[in-house]
Amino acid sequence: MLLGAYKKMFLIRTVEEQIASYYLKNKIMSLVHLCIGQEAVAVGVCDALHKDDRVVGNHRSHGHYLAKGGNLKKMVCELFGKEYGSSHGKGGSMHLIDTSVNFIGSTPILSSAVPLSCGSAFEQMYHKKSAITVVFMGDGAFEEGGVYESLNLAALLKLPLLFVLENNLRSINTRLWERRSSYHDTEKIVTGFGVQYMRSDGNDYLDVVTKVRELITKVRTGKPALIECLTYRHMAHSGPSFEEETREEDMIEQRKEKDSVARMRRETLASGVSEDEINTTEEDIKKIVIDAIVFAEKAPFPRKESLYADLYV
Amino acid sequence: MSNRIITYTEAIKEATDQIMEVDQEVVIMGLEVSYKNGADGTTAGLKEKYPYRIIETPQSENAVTGMAVGAAITGLHPIVHHGRVEFALFAADQIFTQAAKWNYMFGGGHPVPIVFRINVGRQWGQGPQHTQALYPLFGNALGLKVVIPSTPSMAKGLLISAVRDKNPVIILEPRWLFSLKQIVSIEPYDKPLDKAVVVKKGTDLTIVSYGDGLIAAYEALGLIDGYVDVELIDLVSINPIDYETVLKSVEKTGRLITIDTTNHAFSIGSDVIAYVAKQQSLSLKNAPVSLSCPDVPVPTSTMLTESYYPTKVDIANAALCLMGKQTIKHELTFEELHLPPNLIIE
Repeated sequence: MLLGAYKKMFLIRTVEEQIASYYLKNKIMSLVHLCIGQEAVAVGVCDALHKDDRVVGNHRSHGHYLAKGGNLKKMVCELFGKEYGSSHGKGGSMHLIDTSVNFIGSTPILSSAVPLSCGSAFEQMYHKKSAITVVFMGDGAFEEGGVYESLNLAALLKLPLLFVLENNLRSINTRLWERRSSYHDTEKIVTGFGVQYMRSDGNDYLDVVTKVRELITKVRTGKPALIECLTYRHMAHSGPSFEEETREEDMIEQRKEKDSVARMRRETLASGVSEDEINTTEEDIKKIVIDAIVFAEKAPFPRKESLYADLYV
Repeated sequence: MSNRIITYTEAIKEATDQIMEVDQEVVIMGLEVSYKNGADGTTAGLKEKYPYRIIETPQSENAVTGMAVGAAITGLHPIVHHGRVEFALFAADQIFTQAAKWNYMFGGGHPVPIVFRINVGRQWGQGPQHTQALYPLFGNALGLKVVIPSTPSMAKGLLISAVRDKNPVIILEPRWLFSLKQIVSIEPYDKPLDKAVVVKKGTDLTIVSYGDGLIAAYEALGLIDGYVDVELIDLVSINPIDYETVLKSVEKTGRLITIDTTNHAFSIGSDVIAYVAKQQSLSLKNAPVSLSCPDVPVPTSTMLTESYYPTKVDIANAALCLMGKQTIKHELTFEELHLPPNLIIE
């Protein structure tokens, strides 16, 4: 079981490292917000979901998309601006979508996804579906008014909605304690609206998946919940930089020490999977990623005329 | 009895009821939409008929509008009601950045079948923050379809079309017209969302307007009947604008007057004039005339609003001037200046 989750986390990590490298070579001309370090949240949450549960993402959603089962080649093509991309080159990294696995879209303006996810959950409730909706937001988005309005709305209408708050301590460059008073209490805010709350170690896959499973059984009965996952964003807000010069509290050493992927590898080994098996798996995944990149590089660009298509349905 | 005289708001309610009867995916979301005289009567009685489909919402325009957009993305056909455009602006992100861009940013095939009913414009005593129309803002927003019903019959047909459309449609409803009456067919019918309507044919000059400005122009016709033969065009849609219908008319008349009930900068009228001015093939007999509001917010005192909006007399005299004819003197009553028109439109 752990190997399966590790594979997904390693895939996300490997893809993003490749994206970083091609971004620096100006081969990827789509602004990227890398989630390196936060893979345990994406995989932990999505592993607790059914296929017909829906996910709504944000600006940092490569991990969410892949964890939900989104098509890898289509994502990579989208970043390369190619016609085969999930949005045919019109969206790029910040507008990923794969409705075939119920990843119903990522939208990057902070907190926009949250009211939208209320609508998806409303539709599920309206049609008496058993599926739920999950929305990912960061600690920056949690300071937008739409989130508070949505918490109230979800509790009022009893929406089958799980809010996932990925707290990586930073909004762009600003640190959490620069933006909130020392009295700020996320749990009190959330539960004050009548939404269940749990906190998890966002660098620990098992902690995330266990708590999300527990919450989701109630979410399916119309009791919305929020899980806060404490994690690190290893790289800059956008673009592939480790920001060694600007960070003080979480230097690369700290980030590596608590790294979710390395931790998951250790735990997978400890669960009885052999080093050889892990190595082979990693090599297979690297090959899949390289294949996707090669495919995307060779894939055709959209036709110029498609600039004017799709304004309306 | 297939036709009877009903008001603008009754026409909206009738269209809503008729479309809800046949389309189970239609839900209504908004403040007080479940109340007896909810949304100015446009949703009156619907809560009893459709208890689970009329959704009373908190005073949270951003989240409520976003919820409706999200529901549209996942298959419902929501109608969102905003009683004042100023409150709809709390949801600007969801309207302009999410709903309007969704299909394009995902490369097509991702419809957002939602209708935003937004009340706009003049109303006595409401002042600078309750009377904006913001037509240019909506006209400029790519990815939205934006219509302005000027009569009860248009209000009914456009709403039915809007709900059937797969794109986000904004219906800007001028509050000034709510008590307007007209013979309206009891049967459900639709009106094209992107076509201007020639309200009256004429040969001397073309007047282009929409919403309450159109009604002022309609009233002006009565003052200049026999002096100027006006072709009156209701733009109906300001996004996109049906330039073809305008151009065809101006080619014939050679004269153009536009009427806006907002200030002139970036207005619909200035856009129409710019389009006409660019046509090499067209030789105008006179420079186009634009009637609009002054470049200040709408004040509250009737003494100050008296000269704010273009009146039927202003429009009549603009037409007479353009034809080189003597203008008329016509004292407007207090009611004509400050109260919504209690007209029966033909």
